[in-house]
Parts: sequence; structure tokens; C-alpha cells
Amino acid sequence: MALILLPSLLAAEAGGRKQFELDVETVGEALRALPVANLLLDEQGELRRLVNVYVDGADVRFADGLETQLTPTANVRVVAAVAGG
Amino acid sequence: MAVQLSVGTRKGLFLFRGEPGSGAWELEGPLLSGWSVYHALVDPRDGTLYAATNNWAYGGTFHRSNDLGQTWERTEQLGLPEESGLKLAATWHVEPGQEEGTLWLGGDPGVLFRSDDGGATWKVNDGILSHPTRDRWQPGAGGMCCHSIQVSDGSLYVGISAAGAFRSDDGGDSWAPINSNVAAEFQPETYPEVGQCVHKLLAHPNQSERLWQQNHCGVYRSDDRGDSWERLDGNGLPSGFGFPLALDANDPDVAYVIPEESAENRVTSDGRLGVYRTADGGASWELWSDGLPDQAWAAVLREGFGSDAQGLYFGTQSGSVWAAPHSGGWMEAARDLPPILSVEASEWP
Repeated sequence: MALILLPSLLAAEAGGRKQFELDVETVGEALRALPVANLLLDEQGELRRLVNVYVDGADVRFADGLETQLTPTANVRVVAAVAGG
Repeated sequence: MAVQLSVGTRKGLFLFRGEPGSGAWELEGPLLSGWSVYHALVDPRDGTLYAATNNWAYGGTFHRSNDLGQTWERTEQLGLPEESGLKLAATWHVEPGQEEGTLWLGGDPGVLFRSDDGGATWKVNDGILSHPTRDRWQPGAGGMCCHSIQVSDGSLYVGISAAGAFRSDDGGDSWAPINSNVAAEFQPETYPEVGQCVHKLLAHPNQSERLWQQNHCGVYRSDDRGDSWERLDGNGLPSGFGFPLALDANDPDVAYVIPEESAENRVTSDGRLGVYRTADGGASWELWSDGLPDQAWAAVLREGFGSDAQGLYFGTQSGSVWAAPHSGGWMEAARDLPPILSVEASEWP
């Protein structure tokens, strides 16, 4: 089961849950299964520009994006980009 | 009867309970931590608290609470159809509709949504999304936001900057531009059909033909539902530029604005924080500043000015909330909040 880790604002929007264990094959499947999917993906299903997703420490934008494959022990961390004010 | 102020800020929502003219306000918040609350209000029909919420990473969305902010639900279905080629950039304003459960939600890029289930699900308004003049709309500094929505005597009005004002007499199926006599001095053509930069548009709640708008290029009043407008600046107003606007439900000739020096220098006119009031339909304006600081280079955003039967209330970008009864002086209800984006008043039993 892949482990998905959320930052605090998203955890609050997910009913207080910071972690989800999901039986999924890709990053896209994992994000779409979360109760905060619409905060991570826009209305066309694309990863929002300032949302970063790391699989075992590697940015999925430098892999296959939402199609990046997940191993059964993958650690998926969602992080808001360093921006804002 | 006490008042509840719903104060949206760049860093969450604050609720104040008290009375205008009293210095003691009970504060609750911040609620919705991490969200910029562009607009929030209590639905007078059932007491539900709504918020147009935005986050720089997670986009624009909508929250509602049935227990005055103790718990929240977020809509999971809000966006623009793929064939439009547009994406929702932000949510700006929520307005209760006429039918039970109906809500309207305005957003950027110049879009309007309708919900018939109290905000759980939303459907984009095709009349605005596919408006035949959309290719002539240009975003302003705040984006192309649908920030004003008025439901009045069977008609709907929206104000979109910098697209103009529009009226629908068929429930939102079709929209007519209502920008006649309204200047767009930043364009080659001063009086185009669309493209005017409305900053705030309000319909008088008890005289439905009368509309007011604070525009990028002046303050205007209409007595024929927007078919024509009269420009009202001068006669006591230090500047025609500003954003917020408030009305008096009991007197359609009364309006309030908080002018800024100019489009190029967006601070309070003459270096003072002043509310300007007209009691004669805009023919003349008087400064109402009793209790407000004489030296202040503040700014009040388009949603930052609220009114009700008891008084008026506004919040500044520098984090102060001011309140006054309709006749009396201003008192600071709070200071040092995050930059204030919106202020709405509702009854607090």
C-alpha cells in the first residue's frame, strides 16, 4: 500500500487525516482517491501549478507526472510550493 | 439586537459580535486558517455561514458552515468546463438567491456559478461564460473577477472588472450589458458597450430600479435598472476613484464611499481615512470622519464595507475594523488583523 502524506491545511480539509494508505498504481490514482482531490488537481484533472508531489523524495514533474508508477511501499508526499506571503 | 460581523482576511475568517457605537466586540477566530477569505456572509434565510475561499497553492473554492464556523464543508465540485478553455482562478463573492437553497458565486475569470443545494454543487452560468462580448473583456489588477452579484425584484445583476455591468431578466439565461454613460477612460474608446471597470455594484434593497456603482472612473447612480447612469463625482468627493460602496436600506438617496487618491496612488484621499456620505442621491457629498484618524494612508477593498439597520462597518488592508451607528462617530472594533478583504454584517440574536 502506498502511503500518502498531506500538509496540515489539506489534512484539515480531509477531516483531520494526515496520512492515507492506498492500493493504487499511479500518482494520479492516488491523488484522485483523496478527499482533497479538487484542491490538488484543477477542473481538467491537471496537477495545480503550485502543488508539488514527491515519490520517495523525487519530484513527479521530473518523472511521469500523474502517470508516475507507485511501488507497494511508495511514500508520496504532497507539498505546497515555496510561494505566497 | 447585536450584530455579527463576518470579516474575511488574507489569513482566515474572523467573527465579531457587538454593537456599533460600543468599543467592546467579542472576537472569534481565525477560522478557515490558511485560506484567504475573499467574501463571507451569513445567509439571512437560515443562518448558514458561507465563504469564498482561496489559497495560492490549492486554488479557489467555497466553504459553508451550519454551526457558525465550528465545522465546515467544502464543495468538491466547482470548476469550468474543459471546452471553455478556461480554469477557475479564484472565487470572489457569494450571494443568496431568491429561491430556497439557491446561491450565486462569482469568480475569476469573469464567471458566475449557481447552486440549488446550498453550495454543495455548482453549475457554471453559460450566459456569462459564453457572453458574446467576452473577447472584449480585459482583466484588471485584481484579475477578471465577478465580484458583485445582486438579486433584485426578479432581475439579476453582476459587476465584473474590467468587463462591466450586466443585467439578466430571465433568471440568468441571457445578460445585457448595462454600461451606457459609464466611462472607461483607460481605453481608446471612452464609452464602449463593455469593458468598463466596475469596482462595486449595488441595487437598493427597497427601490429596485435604483442602482449604484463605484467604478474605476467615478461614482454612478442609475434610476432605471442600469439602462442609463449619472456620474456623481465632484460636489464634495475628493476623488472619483475607490472600491467600496454601502447603501442605507431605509433611504435610497443615501450612499457611502471611501475614495482613494487615484488609480495610480491607491491610498485614502488627502492622507485621511474618510467615509463620504450623500443624502441627496449623489448631488452632494460630505465627509464623515468623526473618530477616524486624520492621518492615514489606508485602503479599503471592494468587499470591505458592510451596512445593516444598525450601522456601518469597514475593514482596512492594514487590519483595522471600524464601526459606527448611522448617526454617531466611528470606533475601532479591532486592529492588527491580517489584511481585510471583506466585511459583512448580520443580526446576532
